Amino acid sequence: MKQHQGAVESTDVSRREFLHGSAAVAAVTALAAAPLATVQAQAPAAPAGVGPAAVRITLKVNGKDFDTSVEPRVTLLDALRNYLDVTGCKRVCDRGTCGACTVQLDGKIVYSCSMLALEAQGKDIKTAESLIEGGKLDAVPEAFVRFDAQQCGFCTPGFVVAIKTVFQNNAKATPAEVEKGLQGNVCRCGTYEQMRDAIYSLCQQKRG
Amino acid sequence: MPWPTQRRIIGTKVQRLDGPEKSTGMAKYSYDRNPRGLLHARILRCPHAHAKIKRIDLSDAEKVPGFRASHLAVKDNEELMFAGAEILAIAADTEEHADDCIRAVKIEFEVLPHLVKEAEALAAKRGTLGGAEDVTNVLPANTDSTDNFAKLAFEGAAAIHEGTYGVSIISHQCLESHGLVAEWDEKQTSLTVYASTQAVPRTATGLAATFKLKPTDVKCITPFMGGGFGSKFAADIQGELAAELARKAKVPVKLMLDRAEEVTVGGMRPSAFGRVKIAAAKDGKIQAFEIECYGSPGVGKAAAVNFGVLPYIYADSIAHKKKTNRIVRMNVQTARAMRAPGHPQNCILTDQPFDDLAAKLDLNPLEMRLTNLPPNDPDAVKEAPNSYLAQRNTIYRRQIEIVRKMSDWDRTWHKPGVGTGAIRTGLGMALHTWGGNGKGPNPTRITISADGSVLAQSSSQDLGTAQRTVTAIITAEILGLMPRDITVRVGDSAHGPSTPSGGSTTCPGTSPAILLAAENARTAFLAALAPRLNTTANMLELQTGRILNRTTNGTITWREACALLQAPVTAEGDWPADAALDKDAALARLWRQQLSNQGVGGVQIAEVKVDIETGVVRCSRFWTVQDCGLIINKLGCESQVAGGVIMGINYALFEECIYDRQTGRQVNADMEFYKLGGIQDMPNIHVHMMDMPERGVIGIGEPPTISTAAAVGNAIFNAIGVRVPIAPFTPERVLAALAQRK
Repeated sequence: MKQHQGAVESTDVSRREFLHGSAAVAAVTALAAAPLATVQAQAPAAPAGVGPAAVRITLKVNGKDFDTSVEPRVTLLDALRNYLDVTGCKRVCDRGTCGACTVQLDGKIVYSCSMLALEAQGKDIKTAESLIEGGKLDAVPEAFVRFDAQQCGFCTPGFVVAIKTVFQNNAKATPAEVEKGLQGNVCRCGTYEQMRDAIYSLCQQKRG
Repeated sequence: MPWPTQRRIIGTKVQRLDGPEKSTGMAKYSYDRNPRGLLHARILRCPHAHAKIKRIDLSDAEKVPGFRASHLAVKDNEELMFAGAEILAIAADTEEHADDCIRAVKIEFEVLPHLVKEAEALAAKRGTLGGAEDVTNVLPANTDSTDNFAKLAFEGAAAIHEGTYGVSIISHQCLESHGLVAEWDEKQTSLTVYASTQAVPRTATGLAATFKLKPTDVKCITPFMGGGFGSKFAADIQGELAAELARKAKVPVKLMLDRAEEVTVGGMRPSAFGRVKIAAAKDGKIQAFEIECYGSPGVGKAAAVNFGVLPYIYADSIAHKKKTNRIVRMNVQTARAMRAPGHPQNCILTDQPFDDLAAKLDLNPLEMRLTNLPPNDPDAVKEAPNSYLAQRNTIYRRQIEIVRKMSDWDRTWHKPGVGTGAIRTGLGMALHTWGGNGKGPNPTRITISADGSVLAQSSSQDLGTAQRTVTAIITAEILGLMPRDITVRVGDSAHGPSTPSGGSTTCPGTSPAILLAAENARTAFLAALAPRLNTTANMLELQTGRILNRTTNGTITWREACALLQAPVTAEGDWPADAALDKDAALARLWRQQLSNQGVGGVQIAEVKVDIETGVVRCSRFWTVQDCGLIINKLGCESQVAGGVIMGINYALFEECIYDRQTGRQVNADMEFYKLGGIQDMPNIHVHMMDMPERGVIGIGEPPTISTAAAVGNAIFNAIGVRVPIAPFTPERVLAALAQRK
């Protein structure tokens, strides 16, 4: 238990409330036969930490600072969608499988459903909405439009952000490398064939 | 008003109008609506596959910070028939608090017996869906047979094959889950919903009936929606609960299902399993097809197969047929229509035994299909020469020849099971058909304004099928403009009635109405223009981007012409009433056989690579030939077809709702263990569209997903020489089949 506690404390966010609870459960399991008073005496005192009440945070999204107030348990995805009304990142599986919630964090790709909003403070968050400026489309969504690499479009912003990130990390990425970068994204309408056309065209542009 | 014979835009590749909004996350779906003061709602669901509620206590839930309103979804003593059945909903100020509220509800159940496995439900002596003790979960069998089947069917057959085939229950897995945002006006006499729906007006009128409001007092607004596939035709219980909560709390409420809910209650395609006995003469001509099948629509009563067209495709060329189907109900969610309901199951139960029989006869299954194609119906040739029935033999024959060349079948196909090494390659094919006919009402209104803008409006919905773009293409074609010049508003029930988007009916249902609206708009426009140009309308000709004045032989641009308008020009177009069409044969022929039509054919070939050491199947290449009458947008059509194939490959290889026998709950109500292929799991899909403009517009959504799973199954059989009976063809099932190989 101690080791785990140390590991968690080293991150930006305290999950002490959670640990407090699970430590108590572990203690109860271990000392099931002991008198209740003993168990209570061994439970750690409530440490100072963040939450559970809402706390003020500032998130930098697409170059702009947004202030809001969220409980520590709120994911980055939910903070963006429900508290900041930035809805390009979609909630689909909500547990790090489908990629619809994909955003960039300091240039790195993350599932926004799988990190807490508090952890994203001070980081540069970019969503698909950043890929259109003054009506001008970035090359990635532009290729999606040209080759019709989208149907219902609910997964599309996630794919677009993922492809954008692949090219930011490797401007000369091959189509196969881009596809590898999409392992964490799922489309239900089945637009992969058209997406391949878009990817191929983007790879050609980068080389040309 | 036939379709123009010279087409400038119709049938070309046109980018979807809303592509930029969708790809940059700017498009606002129902899930994305956050009106001021919005509450979030959650549903408490039954954790048991069959239970009664003994006690509910909301007192603690109501004390949770943020609690605003609750609404009960069950009646006293109501039996809950599956895990996931709705009990109550709670609205709170945040989603987090709504979750806390649900957790704080104290509830006790009386747990009742359940069945969630088809074979067990089929065999069980006692039902688990309420009612009398002697009522089992199996509905009375549906049977049909040709005369003297027992005596004639298998007489003199050169080969008889018997085998078992089937496919599991799958889920629609819409990426935008079911749900809506509900907002009442201050007096609570009118309701607006932003619903994720395939039927905008029907969702509104359904809610109006539920809440005893005038139909015009409920508005449904759905400019974008994230996938339905047949599962989203009404507000559903969650939509009604959201509206109830919004009424009680007097503020807007959002209730969208979470992923586990979406999978367990958002819709499923029923399973189908069948024992097939099939026989043919030496030349491969099938003489008999016998099937005993069953499948489960969950607690619902819908058939898993489409009994009327079983055996699939070849029925009219098979002399002796006998079939029995049983509907086996069980304690899981009710089946909903899913992209070509019953047809993929039919195809799996027909086209796979077909190839096993071909193998027994040592025949090439492609050649054997040519032998067994249904004939062109002579009556239809006379009555409706453009119909599927009149042309099916011709269409399939052409398609098979095209796909044969595309796939290089004659060079690459080999006899089943021939091959060496760990990775075995195989080719398999299957055929499909679908109706896809449109009808009214689908009124479309077009407005031309003095600034040169054109607005086209209807209440129809764009599910991702590019319906918006279809509207713009037809309007632009007739008005001499480009699709980008047309502003299209769809997905608002205030724009009048429209037919639900199901069964591939939207494009054929709306296109003729849009055509008429555009032609009427052109007529009205020229009539308004004529006096401004000191001429008569018949002297004016609308050309591409300009108007020719035959009186002066001069031309003016579209914008110059519009600037002369004293008031906006508005025109409408819609289908004639059904009664008028039924009475007037010529009118019916125009609308139902020339402007639009029904019945398409398609042929698909899959190539797979099977690792016989691990059982892993990869679909490595895919070819498909598809007709859909007059193509409106080739880009959209190709995308629909490739998407249908990908959904079919998922059906063949990955998807399955797995229910736990003990608890009756689905163990993979998620996206980790409910598998959908990613881009790297999917082959290149070569789509060949057969344009048949003389047939009019026919729907394309359902057909391409139908025969994919059977084609993949046949390709696996061709690769390894042994049939994997049940889809999805997972490594476990492939290895089990290989272990049976002699």
